[in-house]
Amino acid sequence: MAIYVLRKLAFFLGALFIASVAIFLLIRGAGGNVAAVVLGKGATPEAINALAHTYGLDRPMAVQYFDWIGNMLSGDLGRSFRTNESVADLVTARLSVSIPLAFSGLVLGLLIAIPVGTYAARNVGTPSGALLALVSQIGVAVPVFWAGILLSLLFGVRLGWLPTGGWTDWSVSPWGAIRSLVLPVLSLGLIMAAVLIRYVRSAVLDVMNQDYLRTARAVGMTRTEALLKVGLRNAALPLVTIVGLQIAELIGGTVIIETVFSLPGLSRMMLANVAAREVIVVQSTVMLIVVFVISINLIVDLLYGLLDPRVRATR
Amino acid sequence: MREKMHSITRRLGLLTAAAALFAGTLGGAATLAEAASPRAAENKMVLVARQDPGTLDFVKSNLTAMRLWIPANVVEPLVYFNKDGSVSPGVAESWTISDDKKTYTFKIRDTKFSNGAPVTAEDVIYSLNTMKNSPVVDYAAAYEAVTAIDKVDDHTVKVTLSRPSQNFWQGMGAISGLIQPEASAGTIATNPIGTGPYKLARYTTNSAFEFEANPTYWGEAPPVKNVTVRIITDGTAGLNALEAGEVDALPVITIDLWEQLSKRELDKKYSLVTYPQVGEPTYAVLNQKLDKDLRETIAKTLDRQSYNDAFGAAWGAENTCTFALPNQVWYSPESPETCPFPYDMEGAMAAIAEKGYASTPLEYASLSDVPDLSLPADIMVPAMQAAGFNVTRNAIDLARYSQLIFQGRPPQFDVTIMSGDANPVQWACPDPTKAGWSTYCSAEYTKALADADIALTPEDYAAQMKKAADILRKDAVIVPLIAKKGVGLFNPDLKGFQEPRVGVALEMSKLHW
Repeated sequence: MAIYVLRKLAFFLGALFIASVAIFLLIRGAGGNVAAVVLGKGATPEAINALAHTYGLDRPMAVQYFDWIGNMLSGDLGRSFRTNESVADLVTARLSVSIPLAFSGLVLGLLIAIPVGTYAARNVGTPSGALLALVSQIGVAVPVFWAGILLSLLFGVRLGWLPTGGWTDWSVSPWGAIRSLVLPVLSLGLIMAAVLIRYVRSAVLDVMNQDYLRTARAVGMTRTEALLKVGLRNAALPLVTIVGLQIAELIGGTVIIETVFSLPGLSRMMLANVAAREVIVVQSTVMLIVVFVISINLIVDLLYGLLDPRVRATR
Repeated sequence: MREKMHSITRRLGLLTAAAALFAGTLGGAATLAEAASPRAAENKMVLVARQDPGTLDFVKSNLTAMRLWIPANVVEPLVYFNKDGSVSPGVAESWTISDDKKTYTFKIRDTKFSNGAPVTAEDVIYSLNTMKNSPVVDYAAAYEAVTAIDKVDDHTVKVTLSRPSQNFWQGMGAISGLIQPEASAGTIATNPIGTGPYKLARYTTNSAFEFEANPTYWGEAPPVKNVTVRIITDGTAGLNALEAGEVDALPVITIDLWEQLSKRELDKKYSLVTYPQVGEPTYAVLNQKLDKDLRETIAKTLDRQSYNDAFGAAWGAENTCTFALPNQVWYSPESPETCPFPYDMEGAMAAIAEKGYASTPLEYASLSDVPDLSLPADIMVPAMQAAGFNVTRNAIDLARYSQLIFQGRPPQFDVTIMSGDANPVQWACPDPTKAGWSTYCSAEYTKALADADIALTPEDYAAQMKKAADILRKDAVIVPLIAKKGVGLFNPDLKGFQEPRVGVALEMSKLHW
């Protein structure tokens, strides 16, 4: 087990190093610099170079990389060139928008997808089952921003029940913050539900044909009882995998929602900073996300190894 | 300069326009939002900004998104230039100008900054020196003739010039003349301090500005005490928020929304204002390294009316061959007298065939993520190709464009299209090695601008600027197409809108319910 753990830790550290180099090179390779963007077209090359020097962008790339990594390791995520704000503060402030948005969207998606997907599988071949499959297929095809705009027009402009967009901070009004999130969460959750319904339906259909379900029926359970008590547990395994992938996709998916609803979330902050070539903000924020994702993977791998001896032997 | 608008936002804009129209069709007759704002009784208002500046550092930043909100509202200049040409006091309560126009003495108002600190002569000297050393060339250009900035007494500052300078005097009513306390320099990017009618209570990037009436303001207190400026980058979302009654005005409606605004008939439900200050000239830039005949031939493929039509709102732009906005004295609309190379496709095709220009490969650099520039490029490139030019379009984002075009030496393009502030001084060029990003360098043009700068009377200044404009248009490097106006949409109950006095800054203190 110790070798297994060491191997996984080495892989973890190697992945972090490669990711950090890739992030650094990709943002630098995108071209342009924050000095040129801030100063605009009227600036002379001398003025741009002078400001870039102030920001330290003219130092050798290796020096900039090791400075950044060294600061990261000591807990300093750096500061925005333009505003001198701490990256840690910038990220923390935006998580209060992004986490509730992503988490609630995911939960809503699951709350809709599990019963509807199961019902669709139970009624496969019937008109209602076909209708649900069709609706979910349409849902998959609808872009998330389109759903957002239509919901905004309906509930915001026409009915006036909810804000069409914008953000009220939790510290100003918790109720206002919740109202700001309702339509974005609905948009995200509905579209995610459409995707998940199809996976739930397939997974349930798959287990319905398994021997253990027939065995459950043979011991006296009704079809529904067998499905709920035995089938869903087994169908949950592939679903968990899909949900994991969806969580990773949420980071990208929320860019659109945050833009449509003008939410000051993490994704939109990154987008704006990439456009402005705020390299430290982008590097540190993306690195944080990478560390988070790779750490989760490491924990899962270690748990696999702990729970299943075959994994330790084969990996 | 036009600011960055990410391509996602652009695509959303186009598609959301379709969504809005789709929903409108589904919904039948729209239920009109109540015109009366719920905020009127509370003495508040909510405005919409389309872009987030990212920084409020007006010393280093030239971004329109910053210049709309901070100058005049939070940080004031020494003086204000009014629409009729008169000058009003700002931080300076009075001033004297020597007969030779080389010495300006400013009497500083006995007032306080919004942080409670008194305004001193030292603050004024610090501010003027800071703007003099600004990396933004447009700001620092006002100080070219300044030789000394001295304290006379605690409330008097004297500025000495080596020669008369219209640029200096006008700069004192613009961003070049903004007065800030030295003590707040460290936080200027997020919390600029000034003497204006408002103070910035909070700025949350990508979300909102929160302004409160400045209790130490020297003038009449603003009628609306609390102003929120919500940053809504998606244009349709902004129009939806207005219709839903969540916001009271979109003071700057970018060109990509004009057609939608008309089709949704928002101009009938709300007060539509057009004003030149926030407008921008759109112009083609032809690299000066290209043969002059070739440049003239390209200029003849530019059908100004087709560019104007493409934006779908005739009230929003004027066709012009002058690099200027309609409020500038040297401006002229398109006419046979002002357009040396009018649209003439047949003439262009004949010239291309006769001179063999089809064998000259041309690179057209276009900004991919700015709708009001990519749309004209969509017209210009096919028109050039139809005329017979061998032109390739290179679509790039703003950061890359800044690197290749603004920063690169020599700039790497043959043809491009731009939209931006109408300061013709930006094309001044003392010698060809100092040519800016546009590649334009003309000793004759630069001299005309210098003559305008030292003009002692407004009449002489106007005459010299007209002369400079004529040189610029005949050289066919900067080829103006249209002059876009600033366009705003206001709740009908929100009165008092006035055209900006400090650059493009929207003076919120003039608005009232």
